[in-house]
Amino acid sequence: MAKRILITDDALFMRVTLKNILTQNGFEIVGEATNGVESVELYKSLKPDVVTMDITMPEMDGISALKEIRAFDPEANVVMCTAMGQKNMVVEAIQSGAKDFIVKPFQPERVLEAMSKLAA
Amino acid sequence: MKVQYVSPFAEAALNVFQMLVSITAERGQLSARPQMFTTQQVNVVCGITGNIEGLVIYGMSMVTADRLASKMIGQPIVTFDQLAASAIAELGNMISGNAASVLATQGFSVDITPPTIIRGSNVKITTLDIPSLLIPMEIGDIGTLEINVSLQESRKSRLAAA
Repeated sequence: MAKRILITDDALFMRVTLKNILTQNGFEIVGEATNGVESVELYKSLKPDVVTMDITMPEMDGISALKEIRAFDPEANVVMCTAMGQKNMVVEAIQSGAKDFIVKPFQPERVLEAMSKLAA
Repeated sequence: MKVQYVSPFAEAALNVFQMLVSITAERGQLSARPQMFTTQQVNVVCGITGNIEGLVIYGMSMVTADRLASKMIGQPIVTFDQLAASAIAELGNMISGNAASVLATQGFSVDITPPTIIRGSNVKITTLDIPSLLIPMEIGDIGTLEINVSLQESRKSRLAAA
């Protein structure tokens, strides 16, 4: 069965790009969230296998959303996917339970590698 | 404004263009800008907060925006729609984010706000008390991206240092 992914990014372009990369490689996109609040809500209703999470977003940022999702489900697989690659951001995300940290811009292979590792 | 705030944005732009459109961009001549200036046809505005604060504006012609968005999306742009605008906004977000990482290695902790796009020529922008520096980036046959950096040490940092 195809692994179920929830995409979280405020930019339409990023959601389309991630969707294309993932669907072309056998993953199923079960939902798209445009901010942290939507992502947490969709996580609870959809229970995806993996969540991609941008950080800089309106309403609720990705780090806060990551924490809320992990509080709801300590086993949640969340992969950060953001342009903010500074060390303290990576450390905070990983300490908050993120499974991987992808810095934009990225090559499609980098995303597939992260997903395959988690959704195996 | 300190020139050291500008270089991270040029450096980040070089990395982003290499990765995103496989083009080795060239950094042009740095220049100071008056506090009030006229925008380009397409502008991505990115707020910067933290130890240093202000805004960075990425300006380009409509033709350059079309070419960049086409490359990023992987197919020609017929009309500059939501997807194209989002691609150009994301380009600004990526350069700002990568620059924030470079600034962090220099001891400046900054965050960026979600980008805004302003379209239409002859729009006057004034950064009030914050002087601006302009650095043009030549992106092969795609055109020129002007990076307008208007940043200053934050009030909080200045108070802490006093």
